[in-house]
Amino acid sequence: MATSEATADALNGTEDIIICRDVHKWYGNFHALRGVTTSVRKGEVVVVLGPSGSGKSTFIRTINRLEEHQRGDIIVDGIELSNDVRNIDAIRRDVGMVFQSFNLFPHLTVMNNITLAPMKVRKLPASQAEEIAEELLERVGIAEQATKYPGQLSGGQQQRVAIARALAMQPNIMLFDEPTSALDPEMIKEVLDVMRELAGSGMTMIVVSHEIGFAREVADRVMMFDYGKIIEEGTTEQFFDNPKEDRTKLFLSQILA
Amino acid sequence: MASGTDIPQTDSLPPPITERGIVGWVYANLFNSWYNTVLTFIFAAILVLTLWFGLGWIILESDWRVIATLGGNLIIGQYNIEKACPGQDCFWRPQVSLLLVSALLGMAWAISGDRVAKRIAIGVAVVSVAFAFLPYSLERMGLDVRLLLVANLPAVAAGWALARYTPLGSVRWIVILGVLAFLVTLVLLRGLPGVPGLQPVSVIYWGGLMLNLLLAVTGIALSLPIGIALALGRRSHLPVVKLLCVVFIEVFRGVPLITLLFMSQVLVPLAFPEDFPTNSLFRAGVVITLFSSAYMAENIRGGLQALHPGQAEAARALGLPGWQTTMLISMPQAIRNVIPAIVGQFISLFKDTTLVYIIGMLDVLEFGRAFIQGNVAEYLDGTPEFLLFIALVFWVFCYTMSYVSRRVEEHLGVGQR
Repeated sequence: MATSEATADALNGTEDIIICRDVHKWYGNFHALRGVTTSVRKGEVVVVLGPSGSGKSTFIRTINRLEEHQRGDIIVDGIELSNDVRNIDAIRRDVGMVFQSFNLFPHLTVMNNITLAPMKVRKLPASQAEEIAEELLERVGIAEQATKYPGQLSGGQQQRVAIARALAMQPNIMLFDEPTSALDPEMIKEVLDVMRELAGSGMTMIVVSHEIGFAREVADRVMMFDYGKIIEEGTTEQFFDNPKEDRTKLFLSQILA
Repeated sequence: MASGTDIPQTDSLPPPITERGIVGWVYANLFNSWYNTVLTFIFAAILVLTLWFGLGWIILESDWRVIATLGGNLIIGQYNIEKACPGQDCFWRPQVSLLLVSALLGMAWAISGDRVAKRIAIGVAVVSVAFAFLPYSLERMGLDVRLLLVANLPAVAAGWALARYTPLGSVRWIVILGVLAFLVTLVLLRGLPGVPGLQPVSVIYWGGLMLNLLLAVTGIALSLPIGIALALGRRSHLPVVKLLCVVFIEVFRGVPLITLLFMSQVLVPLAFPEDFPTNSLFRAGVVITLFSSAYMAENIRGGLQALHPGQAEAARALGLPGWQTTMLISMPQAIRNVIPAIVGQFISLFKDTTLVYIIGMLDVLEFGRAFIQGNVAEYLDGTPEFLLFIALVFWVFCYTMSYVSRRVEEHLGVGQR
């Protein structure tokens, strides 16, 4: 699988932008993450697979502190995730997130959804924030929907607005938590196309998704989660063509069936 | 990226006659089954009988002299009696405050894209002007009083022009000017010692509809922000804040308003030094506001509970700090979701202001009732007319609130469909 030139250039840098060391997370008594150790390089696209309840969503949500980990270290773009509120805010400005259920703000127009954070958090003047928003809407292919409300858009359009909203903060890392799972089949492609283009531009991405076609084409690396751990990870070709773990083989056979 | 699908219309036929027009409506809603037909006839009979006797009574028997005699005093109570305002007529003070209201309504009309503000502004002006030319007014009111009533028309126009042609035409300025107008009203009504023409008028003479409106406006304007604060406090992670809010809400919701009003007059004065600058009206206003705030807090908390957690998560993931997430994302959606409950609370509060009769205040209902009691021989037979009139007055205000809220909901509902 060919990676784009931009990605290849970034990979040559081999600079780790996310580092996780022995990360543990409990929900009450439930041990959701059981020692996750991995790292992601700048510009890398990582697809995370695993059965439901395996901890893959929890894992990416610890990276921008939507979930707090209780043991281990997470370092994002040189900032260590701790209880320090300034660190958390700094990381959230730097890490964009796209959710399964879009989570657009229904009381704001598409334009205001996108300009809100740049204006309130980055303190950009309205004119500049709108300029950025227009460019991004153009980029995700729905420039003509700027004045509509999220409820007036299709699921695929909403998810593309959500991607534009995250990009408006000009993040270095994008997290995708099952971005196409809530979409009707005919809308999945339009969202994956946007993500494909984004990956080509050199964005560091962690994508929780079961879109194997997308993973094979775009991912540099694939991780398999089960029972709160990474049970296998490897380059895309190696992972799909020559999986080592039985659990991985079984899982792949199930989702490809 | 299709923004809409065109369904070919060529094959579609018009619906059958039973689905269309008046015939269709009558059939579908009144006679679509044998029991609905029976119900239709029963209710038609009740309607006819009610109208027959009701209208018959109103046209042939009712005697509205009690309303005419009470007249403007239903609106201001004893405010302009000689004892309240020795040596001069104080009627102009509440009238000036009505002019301020008219001007604000005019401003709201100018900046609002909806016809509601226009209708209310015109309604207030027309009623005021009409009042000045009633036979009752011509007979009993001085020219100055009637001129000040007529002035509501130019006041609305002035407000409209102010908002349209100056930078004051924004929601922010209307809110600021509204608060100012309220404070000016309080100063006007209370008076300023030593200022000619503004001699102090004790609050024991404030009464009539003016009293109900003052208490309701205070309660409505303050219970929303206090309720928001309490709702947030109750959801706070800080145990002390949470406990304080829970205790406040449950205490004020768990005690009847009448009890609270009594306590405000009997117990509270004991707790403060004798010369503490407070009065019975102020204490009643505080009690009504806090009582309403407790209910408001629970309404708003209900709205917050109903939000999808993904909303706050998305805001936090964008780097918005907690208070901005609350104020820009959670709270607007929560309030929009519970507008019917909030306005229900406002309406309830307005009607509850009549309870201040229990602590000896002469609100519009009690003022008229006391007047009838004091002139039994002449006016006791007018009680049904009086009560009907009061009911109509309250209904007009409450229905207006309800109507405004429905329009607001429709506007905020854009994109939700």
